[in-house]
Order: sequence, then structure tokens, then C-alpha cells
Amino acid sequence: MSTPAAEHAPGLASADGVAARARGLTKAYGSGETAVLALDSVDVDIARGRFTAVMGPSGSGKSTLMHCLAGLDSVSSGQVWLGDTEITGLKERELTRLRRDRIGFMFQSFNLIPTLNALENITLPMDIAGQRPDQKWLDQVIDTLGLRDRLRHRPSQLSGGQQQRVACARALASRPELIFADEPTGNLDSRAGLEVLGFLREAVDGLGQTVVMVTHDPGAAAHSDLVLFLGDGRLVDEMARPTAEAVLERMKRFDVIRRQHDDGAPAQGD
Amino acid sequence: MLKATLRSFLAHKGRLLLSALAVLLSVAFVAGSLIFSDTVSRTFDRLFASTAADVTVSPKKTLDESVPSGATATLSADLAERVARVDGVAAARAEVEVQNITVVDDRNESVSPTTGAPTLGTNWNPTERSPVELTSGHAPRGPTQALLDSETAERRNVRVGDALTVIAAPGSFKVEVVGIVTFTTTNPGAALLFLDTPTAQTKLLGDPEGATAITVDAAPGVSDETLKERVAATLGADRYDFRTAGEQAQSDVEQLGGFLDIIKWVMLGFAGIAVLVGVFLIVNTFSMLIAQRTRELGLLRALGADRRQVRRSVLTEALLLGLVGSTLGLAAGIGLAAGLIELMGVLGMNIKSTEMVIGWVTPVTAYVVGVGVTFVAAYLPARRAAAVSPMAALADAEVAGVGRPLKVRAIVGAVVGAAGAAALVGCVVASDTGSAASLLGLGVVLTLVAAVIAGPLLVRPVIRVLGGWFPALFGSIGRMSQRNALRNPRRTGATAAALMVGLALVGGMSVASASMTKSFDEQIDQTLGADFVLQNANFVPFPREVTKQVRETEGVGLVVRSQFAPIAVKLPDGDRIETTAVGYDPELDEVANITYAQGDSAAALAPGRLAMDRDFARDHGVRVGSAIPVEFQGGRKADLTVGALTDQESAEGFGMQGGIYFGLATLERYAPGAQDSALYVNGSPGTDPDDLRGSLEATLEAYPQVQVRDIADYKQLVHDQIAVLLYLVYALLGLAIIIAVLGVVNTLALSVVERTREIGLLRAIGLARRQLRRMIRLESVVIAVFGAVLGLALGLVWGLCTQQVLALEGMTALAIPWWTIIAVVIGSAVVGVVAALLPALRASRMNVLAAIAHE
Repeated sequence: MSTPAAEHAPGLASADGVAARARGLTKAYGSGETAVLALDSVDVDIARGRFTAVMGPSGSGKSTLMHCLAGLDSVSSGQVWLGDTEITGLKERELTRLRRDRIGFMFQSFNLIPTLNALENITLPMDIAGQRPDQKWLDQVIDTLGLRDRLRHRPSQLSGGQQQRVACARALASRPELIFADEPTGNLDSRAGLEVLGFLREAVDGLGQTVVMVTHDPGAAAHSDLVLFLGDGRLVDEMARPTAEAVLERMKRFDVIRRQHDDGAPAQGD
Repeated sequence: MLKATLRSFLAHKGRLLLSALAVLLSVAFVAGSLIFSDTVSRTFDRLFASTAADVTVSPKKTLDESVPSGATATLSADLAERVARVDGVAAARAEVEVQNITVVDDRNESVSPTTGAPTLGTNWNPTERSPVELTSGHAPRGPTQALLDSETAERRNVRVGDALTVIAAPGSFKVEVVGIVTFTTTNPGAALLFLDTPTAQTKLLGDPEGATAITVDAAPGVSDETLKERVAATLGADRYDFRTAGEQAQSDVEQLGGFLDIIKWVMLGFAGIAVLVGVFLIVNTFSMLIAQRTRELGLLRALGADRRQVRRSVLTEALLLGLVGSTLGLAAGIGLAAGLIELMGVLGMNIKSTEMVIGWVTPVTAYVVGVGVTFVAAYLPARRAAAVSPMAALADAEVAGVGRPLKVRAIVGAVVGAAGAAALVGCVVASDTGSAASLLGLGVVLTLVAAVIAGPLLVRPVIRVLGGWFPALFGSIGRMSQRNALRNPRRTGATAAALMVGLALVGGMSVASASMTKSFDEQIDQTLGADFVLQNANFVPFPREVTKQVRETEGVGLVVRSQFAPIAVKLPDGDRIETTAVGYDPELDEVANITYAQGDSAAALAPGRLAMDRDFARDHGVRVGSAIPVEFQGGRKADLTVGALTDQESAEGFGMQGGIYFGLATLERYAPGAQDSALYVNGSPGTDPDDLRGSLEATLEAYPQVQVRDIADYKQLVHDQIAVLLYLVYALLGLAIIIAVLGVVNTLALSVVERTREIGLLRAIGLARRQLRRMIRLESVVIAVFGAVLGLALGLVWGLCTQQVLALEGMTALAIPWWTIIAVVIGSAVVGVVAALLPALRASRMNVLAAIAHE
């Protein structure tokens, strides 16, 4: 597994390339009669150099999809590729290295190690790998996110928005092939949330990164290039160049379907 | 509220497991030692009570022998006839029992117990009170027949018909084993040899008319007390010791008591260490549980529980833990006592485990200790829990208690530490041993308390240094483990304190013992001038026959004998001091280099003279020329003139206060019958030491109890004896370390639970399992080494001060066992690695997604 950074420098990534791909991706919890399908044969392509949002109501499987694409969770059947690497079937140790070297993560909360300062948190994946960060790139990321004067601060000394910016910087720092952001604005007020979304947008436009964001906030999804809608474990729709209103409209239709479906539909908490 | 407490207790039972184990260990040692000593003393009480005669008459004993002289006090066997005529006496018998014989088989190997228990030579005079019965063969008749006890016979494979040699004070003689006797009661561990009465008198005592005691049976209806009074009136109450059966049994028990007391105190020492170290573990567990439950406690408070209820809830949990731990500990203590009794059996002291005595004191003490310790340890955390504000329920889950200032600790620690340091300085400058020792004790306790209180304050500076090279060596993993150790200084401090206590003791003891060894070495080098020293490994005297044979050995030039005698001296300042004096042959200067402040060996050893230590003389107003009234065993008195004062590092203690010695002729005149304790041998001119050694060893072939030692061997003997003390300390250390390891495991395990989300995040962003394990391992190592460094630093200071105090007693050399100290530091790192095994495994097995979602 080579370092992806060398393979695609920013700006060179073609919009038509595929950063990640899933075919027949199925994830079931439990077994036999009581099995619950969180993902039901999902086929999806994540375009390189784009900002993709995954939306869906609670229990639609959107977080499970992200976890499976990121190699955090095992799949029941189907295949997942990251770039040209099939990650389904990889061993635990290889998956760990894959996450470390080729994927960046942002979570809703508790993103940072409290004992490390901002800079140490940002370079942590590379430190773990025993690699030296690319200083020029690192500077660029830090300046883009406006963290220059916060580098020596511990997480407890940073505001929620600043913490998410540090998490964003960490996700970007190793120039991963793919950045997964799981409800990155869920715990932030709207101003800080907008700021973080702006940075993710900038990471794609200015730095040429690929971002997949799971969210339930139509406003957040509106910052993406493409919204994928998930319902009951299936990919039900997608929307290019979304607006908040359009996404909200689309989401309302889930509620209608859900009401029609009664309570019989499989629902899996995420 | 009780329901909530019970739920909480059950919910956290896994986390309380190690605390329960600590309680269990403490209680087990307390209960075990109580049960064991109760059982043993009950057994021997019964044994001695059942075997003691109604009244025993024995030679007057005026002085206690702290160092064996080898002399056997006798009385006339004819007394039995006089006693028999006393009104109310049913029967009176002359008894012979000597303790200082050695019995060897035909291969010249001693059949005596290897445990140091005595071999008793006794006349065969069976009564219904005898502890043994003849189980094979017949009673001994005539000068060459003997009985042996079955346990010794079995152990040494001796059968009826075998020949044995008895080495007794009057001389060696051969006997044939004609019968085997078996204990009907508990065997206290001794080997028993029986001869007929005339043989015992002539060959064991060297006095055909002698006996060591007269045993008297009362006629029906006569009480022991009355009988004793009548017998005493007949024989003269001042001339002999008279004891009733009860008093005799009491005195026998007391003789054994010393040995049993040692076992009891050792066990209680273990219990003390277990309690002390266990407290830290319990405090830490409760502190962590409460820190983790801050929100829950806040919610309880918000819902209307008042502070008292919260505190009571935590204390109830502690009570439950204490009860469970004590109950299990009591059971474990019974097992421990059974094990000890078995062990005694291996050592030759057969006590039946079925006769185990569990007095009511044992369970009461067990529960008081177990519950008390838990309760006390949980009290501070409980108060802290009660102080949780209802707002904590709403606050974000960042663990409470981390950032609280350590100001109070700093102040208290500094005050106690300063007091302790002052006491230690005081003991170093003090010139009087007694006050120096008490200052030392005070200083040790205070500095230990200060170190425990201030430990958390030292966490930051010390671990910054200790773990300083972690980031350079292990990158961000090293950095995180170092900072994790720094994260909660209280917790790290308390965890390390458990290790610190044990290692401080070891550090201090090893410095003291190394200094002792070095001092003895120097002293031996300075004073011992003989080519060889011949003595028994336990300083037990040997028959004069040995001395005679040695003198006749080829190549032997000079033999200087030394004998011990218990004496009491009346000093000019009015003190009466009981001590042990040594008698030497006049050629002392040929085999020893003694420095005199005044006088010389000739003046010291001349008839009617004595020598003593200069400092002792000064303290008691003695000068050269003073006449000192000396009292010998058996009541003989003499005024001896001080002929010389010595100025050397005398090894006082061992019951040898004052360093008093005189000529052997003086000793033989006033306290005859002592045996030689040591022979200092020089070769005749031109004799090769190796040849001489060979000849001496050939001579001593028949006397396996006596060994030949040159100066190096002699030092080794002293080293070995000091080492026995050290082994005990190491055993204590072992226990302390086990509990300390439990503490580290406990802390790490709870920290891992606490940091679940963090671990999940690390795993998600690519930390390999191996790296995660290493991170936890490094944290564990740095905590353990922190404890070791603190403990050893404290121990070194204690050791230095101890040496300074002992220097007043002549132990002037200081030695610091650096290799031991380095080994302990490395060992503590290993302890850290071992302690991290399970917590690290558990952390690395966590499901990443579940960990991230962990609340």
C-alpha cells in the first residue's frame, strides 16, 4: 500500500475518477429470522475531487454506509473498493493501515485526543505511521483553517468550532484519498457549523480533496456537489448541485413514504 | 436509595474485583496468623499440660541464657528419695534430659533435625504422662542400648539394630538402637534419644549421681500447689526451682514461644503490608468509580438526594465490598493457616490440621480489619462524591476531579515532610542509640506519610523526566502514554504509592544490611587473626572432646578456646545488667587483634580480671581498677577487677552488652561445665594452610556439627545470617509488589474504560492494536518506575540514617547496594509491563465503532 499523496496531487484529480465504490453492499445485523438489513445491496460511486453528502432519515443506514466504505465495519456481502483496492476481505491490520494512510475522519464530537495539543492532534495519523508530514502542505492546511495561533492549545482550551477545525485539519493533513465526515456540524452552533462546512468546501475546491459527509441537516447538505439519499438501506435518489430547499423537499417525501409504510419497515439505529 | 446502591455495587462488581482481592489478602494474613498461632499454642498447651509432672524440682536458674553456654545444670539424684518421703508424694523420679547432644549415624551424618530444633537425650522412665510409647523393640538396658523416636528414625532411615554415635558433653559413645518410640501427642519437632537412667547419668551428664530434674507425682487428694509447698519446705525453697504442672507447662510454652512469636509477627507484618498497600488500591478504585459516575451522582442530587444520602450510598458500597472481601479473606486465612501447619509438619512439627482452633477473636478481627480498611479507604472518595453538585448532571462528561488543585496536599505534605526530615537529621546527629532509634522510627513514618501525601505533586516533575525520552523513542505513542500518566496526578500518585511503600522498605533494608555486612567484614578483617575458626553454624557449643582431638591434629600449632557464660554485673552507677561474657585462653593476641583504650590482653585475661568496652564503661562509671561484682549461673558471685578497656567496634546486641570478657580460667572457676563455642586455630610453623584444613576436616569427620572456616568462610557465615533477614524482607516485598501490581492493573483497567471513546477514535484514525497495547504498556511502566524511584529514594535516605544510627553501635561502614537498586528499577519496569498485559489486551479488543459511540 503506497502513500496516496504521491499518486494524486491536488488539482490533478479528475472529477470523473472514482475515489470509492461499492457493489451489492449489504449489511445485516443479527441472523436468520431476526436479521435486520441496514444496507440492502447498495451500489454507489464516490466521485474523486467532489463533495458528496449522504442523507436520509434516522435508521436509513447512512452511517452504516459510511462505516463500511471507511473500513470501520465489516460487510455482510458485496464489495467495496477504495481507489483500486478492494477493502472487503482485508484483514484487521490492513484495514487499520488503510484508515491511517488513505482515509481522513471527522466525527460529530470527541474528535481530538485530550492529552495532545492541536498540532500533535493534526499530525497524529502520520506520527502513528512514523511518517514525516509534508510541511508545505501542512502549512497550507493550517493557514486555510486559520489555526496558526492555536497550534499549542490543548482541546480543552479550544471552542467546539475550533476543535472541529482541528479535526478537519487532521483529516486533511495526510492528504488522504477520501475524507469521511460523520455529522461534523451536529454539535456546533450555526455560525461555527457554517465555518466548518466552508472549510470542507474549500478542501474540495481549493485543495482538491474528496469528501463524503453524512448529515441529516439539509442546510449542510446544500454545501455539497451531490447528495445521495438513503432510505431503508437502499440508495433511493441523488441530487446534483443541491439547495437547502430542494433537499428539504426531498426529505419530506421520506416522511410520507414512512407513514404509508406503517411501522413495518426495517429500521436500524445509527 | 439502598436499591440504587445495591444496583450500583452489582453493576460495578467487575471494577471492584481487584479491591476485593486486596481486602481478601489483608484479611487472609491477619486471620491466618491468628488461627495458626491459636492452633499451635493450644496444641502445645495441651501437650505440655498433659506431660508435665504434678511438681517438678529443677536446679536453681538465676540467669537467662541468651547465648548458649553448653553447660547443663544438675542436681543430685538422691533428692528423689528425700522427696518421696514427703507427705502427699505418690512417687518421685530423678530425670535426666540434656539438649546439647549430637547423634550421628554410621556414615558420620547427624540425625538431628535440620530445622535447628534440639536433639534431646533423656532417660527412659515411661509413665502414663510420657509423650511417647514404645512401638517396637524393647526398653534400653545397659550402657550401649538406646531408643530413637520414630519420626527421626524414618527421616534418617534408622532401624532397630543400627549403631549410632552419641556426641555428648562428657564424650562420645556408641549405642545400638534397640527400639523405636512413637509420639502419642504432637511432636514439637525435636529428635529424641532414650537411654536407661544410669547410662544417661554417666554418659550424658558425666555424673553417676546427677539428674536434671526431680519429677513428683501427687498422692490422690493432694493439690499441686500444696505438694509444691511441702516439697519446697523439705528441700529449701531457695536452693531449687519448684514448679507445679501448670507452671511447668507455662514455662515450656514460653521456651517455644520465641519461635512461635516470630512466625506470628512475620505473618502480622505481611498482613500490615497487605493492609497498607491495599488501602491505596481501594482509595483509587472508589475515586475512579466516583469520577466516572459524576453525572449519575449529579442526577441523583438533582432529583433530590441530599449529600448525606450520596455519601452513605458510597459508604454502603464500601461496606458491601468489605464484607465480601472479609468473608473470602477469612476463608483464605483458614487455608493459609492449614498450609502453614502443613509446612510445620514438613519441618518436623506435627500438628493435626483437624485440631485447628478458630477462636471468636479471629472472625471478629477479620471483619474489623476488612470492613474497617475498606470503610476508611472509601471515606474520602465518599465525601468527594457527596460534594458533587447537581449541576454535574448537566455538564459535559469531561471527567471530574482532574483539575482540582493540590494546594492542601502541598502544604500538608511539606509540613509533614519537614517534620520527618527534621527527625531524620535528629537521628543522624544524636549520640545516644535509644533516642536516635526512636527519632529514626518517627522520621521513617513521617517521611513515608509525606511521600504518600505529596506523591501526586511529584508526578508531574518526575514523570516529565522519566518519560521524557518516550516521545523521542516511541513518537506520538510515547507522548500519549507519558501524558496519560500525567493526566490525573492523584491517580498516578496513589497507584505508584502502593509500589513506593514496598520498595522504600526494601531500599532501606538493603542499604542497612549491606552496611552491616561490610561493617562485619571490616571488623573480621581487623580483629580476626586466626588461620581457622572452628564452630557450630548456629554458635551452639560442642564437647571438649572435639577440642582435644583438634589439639592432637597434625599441623595444629595454637588453639585458643572461647566459651560463653551468662552473667549479671552490678555496676558502680547502680545498674544491674544481665549479659553474656566470653572466656578466652590467654594466647588471645595470637588469634585476634584487639585494640585497647587502656591495658592489654594480659591484664584483661589475668585471674580475677575482666575487660569491657570503653563506651560501656564510661556510661556506667567504670574505670580500670574498678571492682565489679559479677554473678554467675547457679548463683556464684565474685568481685572481678577491670583490667583493660577495649576500643573497637564491638558487635553489641545479640545479648552481649558491654563486650565483657575474661580469662577462661576465671570462667571455669565460677561457672564450670560450659562447652567450647569456638576454637581459633593457628598452624604450627611451616604448615601449609590447605594441608592444615585437610587435617582439621579429617578430625572433624566424626563431629558433623562443627565446621572449619577460614576468614573468607567466616565472613560468608556472617553474610548468610544477615541474608536470612533479607529473605524475609524480600518476601514482604513480594507480597507488596503483588498487591501493587493489582493496583496498577486496577488503575489501568479503569482508565481504559474511562478512555473508551478516545481509544475508539485512535483506532478509527489508524492506531494499530499493537501500538495501542504499547501505549498502555508504556503508561504502566512509567507509573511503576515512578513508584520505584520514589520508593528507592526514600529507602536510600532511610538506609543512610539507619546506618548512622547503627554506627553508634559500631556499624561504621556504609555500603549502598547499587546493583540491587538498579535491579529493582529494572524489575519495576517489568512489573509495569506485566501489570499492563490484561488492560492492554482488553483495550485492543474493543470494537472500534462501539467504542466511538460509548457514552
